Amino acid sequence: MITVENLSKKYANSEVLAIERLEIPKGQSFGLVGNNGAGKTTFFNLLLDLIQPSNGFIKNHDILVHESEDWKPFTSSFIDESFLIGYLTAEEYFYFIGELRNQSKTEIDNFLTQFEEIFNDEILNKKKYLRDLSKGNQKKAGIVAAFIGDPALIILDEPFANLDPTTQIRLKKLLKNLTEQKNSTVLISSHDLGHITDVCERIVVLDKGKLVKDIKTSEKTLKELENHFSLVEVV
Amino acid sequence: MIVKKILRLEWLQFTRSLGFQQNLFIKILMGIGLLFFAAIFMIFGGGFFFFAQKVLPETDPLELVNNYVIFWFLFSLIIRYFLQQLPVINIKPLLTIPIKRNTIIHFLLGKTFVSPFNFFPLLFLLPFSVVLLYHDYPPVNVVFWFLSLKLLVLSNNLINFLINKNDTAFYSIVSILGLFVGLEYFSIFKISLPIGIVFNYIYQQPLLVIAPIILLTILYFSTFKLIRKGFYIDDVIQDKKQKNVQIVDLSWMNRFGSMAPFLKNDIKLISRNARPKQVVMMSFLFLFYGLIFYTNKTYADMPAFLAFASVFVTGGFLMSFGQLVPAWDSEYYKMLMSQNIPYKQYLKAKWTLMTTAVTISFILSIPYLYFGTKIFGMIAAGALFNIGLNSFFTLLSGALNKIPIELNVKAKAFNNTNKFNLTQVLVAMPKIILPMLLFYVPYKFISFNAGILTLALSGVLGIVFKNFFINKIEKIYQKEKYKTIAAFSENQ
Repeated sequence: MITVENLSKKYANSEVLAIERLEIPKGQSFGLVGNNGAGKTTFFNLLLDLIQPSNGFIKNHDILVHESEDWKPFTSSFIDESFLIGYLTAEEYFYFIGELRNQSKTEIDNFLTQFEEIFNDEILNKKKYLRDLSKGNQKKAGIVAAFIGDPALIILDEPFANLDPTTQIRLKKLLKNLTEQKNSTVLISSHDLGHITDVCERIVVLDKGKLVKDIKTSEKTLKELENHFSLVEVV
Repeated sequence: MIVKKILRLEWLQFTRSLGFQQNLFIKILMGIGLLFFAAIFMIFGGGFFFFAQKVLPETDPLELVNNYVIFWFLFSLIIRYFLQQLPVINIKPLLTIPIKRNTIIHFLLGKTFVSPFNFFPLLFLLPFSVVLLYHDYPPVNVVFWFLSLKLLVLSNNLINFLINKNDTAFYSIVSILGLFVGLEYFSIFKISLPIGIVFNYIYQQPLLVIAPIILLTILYFSTFKLIRKGFYIDDVIQDKKQKNVQIVDLSWMNRFGSMAPFLKNDIKLISRNARPKQVVMMSFLFLFYGLIFYTNKTYADMPAFLAFASVFVTGGFLMSFGQLVPAWDSEYYKMLMSQNIPYKQYLKAKWTLMTTAVTISFILSIPYLYFGTKIFGMIAAGALFNIGLNSFFTLLSGALNKIPIELNVKAKAFNNTNKFNLTQVLVAMPKIILPMLLFYVPYKFISFNAGILTLALSGVLGIVFKNFFINKIEKIYQKEKYKTIAAFSENQ
């Protein structure tokens, strides 16, 4: 479970994020949408303790994120390509992450079989370093690596961007299966309103760092979001 | 004019690059440093004539220079290969707009001629030539001789361009230079004689300046052709596909327990990326550092310097790799910081790697026994100091380093100096001063052996307190975490 209280992040004199209160219960599939500069990535960076909050705090399963590192064993994420180690092959990268998460080589091999569809024969046994893969394939590898070791919290920043249509659909299926089991909390941000309403049971809209909408997903949600974003003034 | 527009782009790239506006103070300091070295060069150039006259009164100083020009020529090629930054233009955006390819290439080549490497030799040549004129050497001959040499410097510039991607050519040059130096040293065959005759002849016949002009022209057009051929982004794309991946089974390293994943990763990091490979090669050269000091009689009476050199013999990799921990992992530092990674294991893995390198260097330095057991004892003590103390100083200075590394790009001179870090230099001081002190004080008051023993013991002490040091460095990592993340992700 994630608790956010009075959280704010300021750079120089502009406030890029200010969330008074937000609770994400365990097992929820949580979507974050917002235009560029809304504060989505800032929020994820704070959640991963990559930047310091100017004010307030985030608690991840009762652990204060910016004070203790004990949230790391059960939290995993893929924010951007800088989460990949370019000079490793995809397998080597999975094994490396596996070792960090106490998964043996065989466990990882078994784990990877369920992603055959997503990999589409373009990732494994390719004898290529990750840095030489296409952007889309890099992303696939990064997302799958975030699933290693049954993390209780998975954070994915724009997982659908750069993926080909087939993979987008397969990834959606995968995420849905994952969230149906209710074992992991999944946090996703996206610019694609359709995808995010398909995958997430709850959607929060950020605008210029503020939480402006908190919706429980229903059939009307997509329409509601589309209306919201056609009215918002473009920054 | 199109050239003017490209120039403007270059200027913007320079002034808008990260860190350009930072640290004016450091820039001024470095400027002063550069002027200082320039002045030394010039004094050397001006003074060389008198110096040569005094030491070898029977030889004409000009002929002396002519004899050895070939060594300087080859040596500067090697230096250029390592350090000269080849001009890079981001060609992709230029290819699609209406600028003639040839214009861009001429511009690119022109840009290489303004490299500092083409001006350094002038700092010597110019004052030397002035002194020649002052001594009533015929002006026409001197001027054209000067021009010929300058043209050769420029040819060197282009040769470097031609061989830059070609390791075989480079190693051939290194071996040719080695061969010439060897033959010269043992007086078997003196290449300096025939070469000297050629250059003397060039001096006597000013019109022969045509030879270097032709050489330069040929080189220019062959370089031009070479670039013209590769001036498509095809190459960039194909290049990616052809690279062979070498997968080596490193599972035997699992015996290192919880630091095994990091160790395995570091081995791959070093073997698969251009920059770390370069560091390994450089640290191999450090092994020969002792030769400069142990063979030179001046240092025989200054054992403190010998102690300093001994530390360098085995410490090459330790220092050059260690001072860039954690920057080696800068490309994916955010991931490491959000992963389940204990700093301690991470640091221990790097420490193990560094100290293993010291051990290997030590084994390779056994031939130094030739200089006697005293020298070798010093190297052994230096190795212990490296393992026990220097490793931690180096890791400490690395922790304060905020410059990210592009792993697969070779480092070149005059690059990356924008974010020069003063604290880092201060932390680096003990690395140089401490071994000298640790040796010199007991040496002065007790004996040579006491000096060696103290140096060795200091290292042992460091190993005993290893955990203490690692804990301290870990604290710095934690304290600097956010700054480091921000700095490392700046270039993306």
